[in-house]
Amino acid sequence: MNKLKKQFLRWETFLVLVILLEFLVFGSLNPKFLNMKRLFSGLNQFIPVCIISLFVTFVMITGGIDIQAGSIVGLTSITVGVLWHDANLNIFVACILALIGGALCGALSGFFVAYTGVQPMVVTLGGSFLYSGLALAVSNMSSNAAYQGISDFPEAFRALSKTQLFDAVPMQFVIFFVLVIVSYVLLHRTNYGRKIFLCGVNPNAAEFSGINTRAVVMSTYMLSGLSAAMAGILLTAYLGTAKADMGSEYTLPIITAVVLGGTSNLGGSGGVIGSALAALAVGFLRIGLSLNGMSTQYLDIPVGILLVVTVSFRFAGTNPKLRKLFSRKKRQTVVTRAS
Amino acid sequence: MLKKLLHSREVTALAFVVFMFLGVGAINPAFLTPANIWLCLNSSVVYTVVAVGIALVIITGEIDVSVGATLGMTAAVSGTMIRNGEPWILAIGAALLIGLLIGSINGFGVTVLKIPSIIMTLGINGIVRGLIYVFTNGKWVENIPFDFKNLSQGRLFSSITFFYLGAILLIVAVHLILTRTKRGRYLAAVGDNIGGATLLGIPVDTTKFSAFALCGVLAAVGGVLFVSRVGFVTPIAGNGYEMKVIAACVLGGISLSGGVGTVIGAGLGAAIMASISRILVFVGFSSDYDDTITGILLIIIVVSDALLRRRAVEQARRQRLAAKTQLLAADGKEATAGE
Repeated sequence: MNKLKKQFLRWETFLVLVILLEFLVFGSLNPKFLNMKRLFSGLNQFIPVCIISLFVTFVMITGGIDIQAGSIVGLTSITVGVLWHDANLNIFVACILALIGGALCGALSGFFVAYTGVQPMVVTLGGSFLYSGLALAVSNMSSNAAYQGISDFPEAFRALSKTQLFDAVPMQFVIFFVLVIVSYVLLHRTNYGRKIFLCGVNPNAAEFSGINTRAVVMSTYMLSGLSAAMAGILLTAYLGTAKADMGSEYTLPIITAVVLGGTSNLGGSGGVIGSALAALAVGFLRIGLSLNGMSTQYLDIPVGILLVVTVSFRFAGTNPKLRKLFSRKKRQTVVTRAS
Repeated sequence: MLKKLLHSREVTALAFVVFMFLGVGAINPAFLTPANIWLCLNSSVVYTVVAVGIALVIITGEIDVSVGATLGMTAAVSGTMIRNGEPWILAIGAALLIGLLIGSINGFGVTVLKIPSIIMTLGINGIVRGLIYVFTNGKWVENIPFDFKNLSQGRLFSSITFFYLGAILLIVAVHLILTRTKRGRYLAAVGDNIGGATLLGIPVDTTKFSAFALCGVLAAVGGVLFVSRVGFVTPIAGNGYEMKVIAACVLGGISLSGGVGTVIGAGLGAAIMASISRILVFVGFSSDYDDTITGILLIIIVVSDALLRRRAVEQARRQRLAAKTQLLAADGKEATAGE
């Protein structure tokens, strides 16, 4: 019974309830929301954020932060385009090269974070300038104008997003689901995952117990860069265009998903299931609101409110003054009841 | 005194600015004309004002990524009011009030609800960005009266604009407050060692709150200056300014972990950030590489700073160790002599 209660009080359960509530509210407001095909096609735009947030979770568990993932999305997208269109490479070779490029971008920032001790926020801020600038430079190499982007990709590549499992579930969602399992196993079921947690809880203790903390920290940034590259490729395949400025607005939703998912920004606690659920909750919120006539430009308002409100519930308890305020009230009610 | 001056971080930033200008001047002498240098400095006025604001927050050890949205919002509001023929003073007052309000909300979230500042301000950033669309309906604010636009062109001795002169006076005033008054020195104390500041009886929460509120107000000032300088406001005005001014602060020697740095450094960093795109043009590159160079500069400066500081710490430790062993050796000799 106690175990059941504990399970029920978990943050992930709360997130599942939020998603169910969203289905209930939006479904009753607009039955189109419950149409599977419609729902998934709405989610397609948001899948990159879901994928990246899984691996940014790794970074945040080590106590870091990654605000460069969005710019790596744009860099991969345009790299795939230019390699295919102007260097005449096979599209899948181009994808693999872009994946390697994304991982290298992440590794570079990770190296600076882990081996020089500069704050992760500063390094990834520099990284976000650097990679979005590089994306622009790469797009200048193309014979196409930058604002047009590169399109007309071969069918085999578009199939990455067009193929549907059971005629309903798009391939991107399947890939996301596989990545959830992979990252869950990696973080919660392997030695490597334990090391990531330990690095976040107490890096000194981790170092003294023989863990190469620097390599572990660096690897998390590499993974997040790799996932951003994956997201960039999927987004390119879905939209059918490669552009340098793709993903530039992903920073807010990614961090929102990770923090909403219960990962502490101070490191040491969290999990990928929470991030995945939170990312889906944010995605469904956006689809539901836009189906009910909210313009897409306004969608940052509810997402921001959701972030601030949920997080304030989690952190307000750490303020001793607020706690005293509430506990005194409770005591007073007890006293009045007794009298 | 001179040694202290040489070791201060602002001098490094200043030396960097001079070195950069001279270097570019060597490649293209046209860059070093007084007119061009004044153009560079004058164009940095918006960055400078906003950077001073965010520097206050960073010095207390927090971060504010909502300044770009605050700038956009206040620019849209004041621009619309001025275009509609309202008295300027009313428009500017409204902008400052909005800035104060947003800053206070950030401060409330961070000090009372205890939400980590990056999350709180990221959420507020999203909300305010959405509200800009609500306010402007996604349209540009155009047809700002010429009188108001001309304000930004007024110059003293036909070199420095009154705006930039005002920004310099602001820097001097804020610097004096931060270094010469009790309340001003609280900021660095809180940022340097929050536990120690609490034990000394410094009102930590009030200090942080006022830093956020002032940051909002200065972002609003930046918004009004933006309207006058640019002459129109798009719904995405101020997008990315938060990252640019954080980068400016870091370039100017302010540490993101708090307690270290001055607003003079922030002003110098802002001058660097604003000059980079002009410099690129003078050296013969496309100004598209603006972000790339900014990113590279940011990473190089921060990493080299971290490495130099680590070496200084090591050196000090070695010196201490050497002194200690000498002392011990001397003691040993005395002991043997005593026998």
